[in-house]
Parts: sequence; structure tokens; C-alpha cells
Amino acid sequence: MSGEEEENAAELKIGDEFLKAKCLMNCEVALILERKYEQLQQMSEDPMNQVSQVFEKSLQYVKRFSRYKNPDAVRQVREILSRYQLAEFELCVLGNLCPETVEEAIAMVPSLKTKGRVHDDEAIEKMLNDLSLIKKFE
Amino acid sequence: MFLKVQLPWNVIIPADSLDSEGLMLQRQIVIRLLNEFAVKKATKDHGYFLAVTTLESIGEGRVRQQTGDVLFPVVFSGITFKIFTGEILEGVVVKVLKHGVFLKCGPINNLYLSNLKMPDYNYFPGENPFFMNDKMSKIEKDVTIRFIVIGTKWMEAEREVQALVSLDGDYLGPVP
Repeated sequence: MSGEEEENAAELKIGDEFLKAKCLMNCEVALILERKYEQLQQMSEDPMNQVSQVFEKSLQYVKRFSRYKNPDAVRQVREILSRYQLAEFELCVLGNLCPETVEEAIAMVPSLKTKGRVHDDEAIEKMLNDLSLIKKFE
Repeated sequence: MFLKVQLPWNVIIPADSLDSEGLMLQRQIVIRLLNEFAVKKATKDHGYFLAVTTLESIGEGRVRQQTGDVLFPVVFSGITFKIFTGEILEGVVVKVLKHGVFLKCGPINNLYLSNLKMPDYNYFPGENPFFMNDKMSKIEKDVTIRFIVIGTKWMEAEREVQALVSLDGDYLGPVP
């Protein structure tokens, strides 16, 4: 790995380009890829032939690893997490792994506890509570 | 991590396909873009190319002197998959060996988890080998594992990413 700072997502050291990039949660990607696949089904008898291996494997993956399936729920997850001053990258890790406790959330996204950031345990707990409510109504 | 990217691309329409105009030409450009995108598979910078979501713009065509082809600079939005050192992800075990296991995650097939990075897990050989710790937590084929990425490598020839992962850390390991 070249460059002055070594890459480390745990500290949000992922490069300026990716810090500013829009990240997508597995459940969001699932909705997009499924929609694309449906479009292909309408246009062709053998849609699986039309998509790349990368598409196929990714679709399989996001279907298996989406914690939320309902499009409204997916929207709500993004909406709720967006209230907490998170980097895109952090938001998606949380939305993908759905930690159940504050301790687990910090283990999954250590950068939350970097000096100077506003996330005390109470805020993180509230965030996790809000997320768990969505799951109940899915 | 799945990323939404906006990328420039040069689509080349060969001279003998240039009899179409307007919407037909646009359609040709899109079809070529989608094909090239699928064939390219991945890059070192952006990871694996999954899908094109929108065509943002098509610039003015430029004739290439040698061949008579026309080059159209386009900008499109798409989805890619890229993993970062220090990132925590979930994946599935595909193969169990004495010295470690191979996992798949997204479009990536060869993430390697060495037994040295599976604290307290022991290897149990057999027709369906597995690793297990004293809390009866099992790592075998098709099990979901939550891991941390400790290194990535871009393989230029195969246009693939290989990664080393680890279970060293809290809340990592098999996911029920």
C-alpha cells in the first residue's frame, strides 16, 4: 500500500475520494439490483445470461445479507442513521451489521469514538433503539 | 463496501456502425458502455463493477484519425464494490483447509482467513473438516463469518482483489 497514510477503515482512513463517496447499504443495493434484474427479465428469456458474474454474485450476496427487505424500511434506516452525523462509510457499516448494543456498535465502527466526535454512549444507544423499532414493523 | 460512483468513460463506435443518429446512436453508446463495463470487471481504484445506474452525459464525438471510429466521452453513475483494510464485513465460508479457510464476500471469492487469525479455534479433519473453539462455535462450509480485513491486494492480470482477513477482535466470528 503506497501513500503517506496507511489505509485503515477502522479509523476512517480510506482516502479522500471514498470519504466523500456515497456508500450503499446491502439492503439498498439489493433493491437496485433486483429492479435491474426484473427489467432484464422483461426484455429477455434468459436474464441470467445477460448479467456479469460480478452482478450475479453481488445480487446473491446482498439478498442474503440484507437486514431489511421492505423498501420503506430501507428508506427509514437511511433516514434515521442520517440524523447522527456519521460518515457515509460508518452509516453503511452500521446499517449492514445492525449491532445490538452500544459496545458492539463501537467495536464495528471504532471511528465513532475518535476524539472530538459527538457520539457519546447515550446517542449511540438512542440510534440503536430507533433502528430496532424499524425491525419490529418490517 | 458498496459505493455509488460517477465515472468518465470513453465509448468508441466503430466507423461501420456510424450510420445511425440521434436516439439510435445514444442507444448504441449505452449498449457498448454496458458491455465494456461488464468486461472490465474491476479496477484497482474503484473495485468491482456491478451495474450502471444512470447515464449522466454524452459528450461530443471525436473522430479518431487512424481508424475513422468516433470516440464519445460519457459520464455515468454506477455501483461498485471495494473492500478496505480495517473494514468489518460478513461473508460465507467456501473451503476449509488445515491452515485456514477461504471465504466469499460480495463478488470477491478469495478472502483468506488464516488459522493464526482464528484465536482459540482448532482444526478438526474429516470429509467435512471444520474449525471449532471450546465454546462449540463452529467454522465450516456455508457458515456466515463476521471478520475484519487486514490486507488487500490487487491482481492486475486476473483483474481481481485478494484479501487477508482476521477474527482478532470483539464481536467477530461465526454469526448464528
